[in-house]
Amino acid sequence: MIEMAIPIDVSNVTKRYDTITALSNISFTVQPGEIMGFLGPNGAGKTTTLRILAGMIAPTDGSVRIDGLEVTTHSLEVRRRIGYLPEHVALYPELRVQEYLNYRARIKAVPRTELRNRMSEALERCALTDVSRQLIGRLSKGYRQRVALADCLLGAPKILILDEPTIGLDPHQIRQTRELITALGRTTTILLSTHILPEVEMICHRVTIIDKGRIVAVDTPSQLRARLQGTQVIRVQLRGEPSVIEPALKQLSGVSRVTMHGRTNGYASFDVETSGGADIREAIFRLAVDRQWTLRELSQTQVSLEDVFIKLTTKEQDAA
Amino acid sequence: MSNILALTSRELKAFWYSPIAYVVGALFLLLQGWVFWLLLAVLNDPRVDPSFTASQFFFGGTFFFWFAVLIVVPLLTMRTFSEEKRTGTIEFLLTAPVTDTQVVLAKFLGAWIIYILLWALTAIFFLILRRLTPFDWGPVLTGYIGTWLLGGMLIACGILASSLTRNQVIAALLTFVALLFLFSIGILDVFIRDPESGKIIQYLSLIDHLRNFGKGLLDTRPMVYYLTLTTICLFLTGRVIRSPRWRS
Repeated sequence: MIEMAIPIDVSNVTKRYDTITALSNISFTVQPGEIMGFLGPNGAGKTTTLRILAGMIAPTDGSVRIDGLEVTTHSLEVRRRIGYLPEHVALYPELRVQEYLNYRARIKAVPRTELRNRMSEALERCALTDVSRQLIGRLSKGYRQRVALADCLLGAPKILILDEPTIGLDPHQIRQTRELITALGRTTTILLSTHILPEVEMICHRVTIIDKGRIVAVDTPSQLRARLQGTQVIRVQLRGEPSVIEPALKQLSGVSRVTMHGRTNGYASFDVETSGGADIREAIFRLAVDRQWTLRELSQTQVSLEDVFIKLTTKEQDAA
Repeated sequence: MSNILALTSRELKAFWYSPIAYVVGALFLLLQGWVFWLLLAVLNDPRVDPSFTASQFFFGGTFFFWFAVLIVVPLLTMRTFSEEKRTGTIEFLLTAPVTDTQVVLAKFLGAWIIYILLWALTAIFFLILRRLTPFDWGPVLTGYIGTWLLGGMLIACGILASSLTRNQVIAALLTFVALLFLFSIGILDVFIRDPESGKIIQYLSLIDHLRNFGKGLLDTRPMVYYLTLTTICLFLTGRVIRSPRWRS
């Protein structure tokens, strides 16, 4: 069997602009044939991540592989393999839809023999056949969005990276676009960003949640929902042997998951996740006293899944 | 190669569909028509030295030549990159599977082809002149070659300026100032007494170059100067548009 490269493999990526850290140490993968939702509130770092994937900007640190190729060193090959829909769709207004797609197909090196087929297929899939002779500058935003999506499909890419593909569309167009993405997902690996939670539940197999430049969770939409029922995350720093501390924390009642973050000066730090809404900070304190572990930090982390969830759901309500 | 063709034809279409190209073209031809009329007046004047040729007058012989070059070039290059940056189409361009070199070369070729065409249209004047009086075609041809190569260099400067800003007006002004600087090096000649520095000034003097091209001299030294500066500017443009990819 031929080993298949992971379509999208992001590991330990950090992006800093002068003083602002847009992404800090994010990692995730998208498996072949998967539709991965990249969910987060505005300003979470979604667009920055997707721009790095598309080779538009370089990461400050870390490695990004598309189809097994490092984006910073194999930029051109990577760009040949992906279809990228930027957040702000900007097309040449003086060209007609057909003219524009023809131009894009040529710079994407679509073979001349296939050009006609690819164009008509892209026009049809994006429901653009009727407007193919119109000037792009005269089209509505929804149509322009679809022209850009059609452009993505021209190169017959194995991987699609879509930045907020349904933003600015009317409800009917949103439904059409979602149907199109679902259909494309049968043959293509897709990473799409959105700030709309129900959208992810409708079309994605898995979802990565990002907030303030950090990955908060990666899971299937249904499991995520289950996990969200009363989850809390507590950050603990204790002096002691991690291999002893970790199982002890896990045994506390209500704890669903313990993840270790690293050690500094003999202190190990953990994220303790609880379900059922129980506040176990007191229990952790008593445990530390019993075992004589020095306790340096005990706090509810600021970015809990629930916070992000609340932000996302309120956004959706605002929008509705 | 086919990428460059596709990108360049997009550039030419952008000129074709924009009113700027037509306004610039019309004014340019009007100005050159005026120069031609002056030329006829001069050639008809019995007091003028008989060795004086039409091509010498037409290529760099008048203030209007320089005016046309220094104004037309910024107008042709100002939108190349700045417009793409302002509207955001640059993101589509830079994430397409084309190299930065191809993008820059296509922008350059697009503007240069328009410039070459504009000047080529003025050949009509020489065809008319030919019916009135005999003259040698050689110096006319070298005059055009010199003008085209000079234009290439100035267009490369303009494209670099355009890649630095998202504002077309700033791009045009920046280009105009840069061109004016390159042009005025030749004027410094008058103030320089030191023969060594004088040679350098002469080497860089656009006015002197054009005078020679108009006489029928195809000197490789200014050509090397033009090609070098063209390459440097285009190379720098490539660095500028790539920098967001590598900025850490």
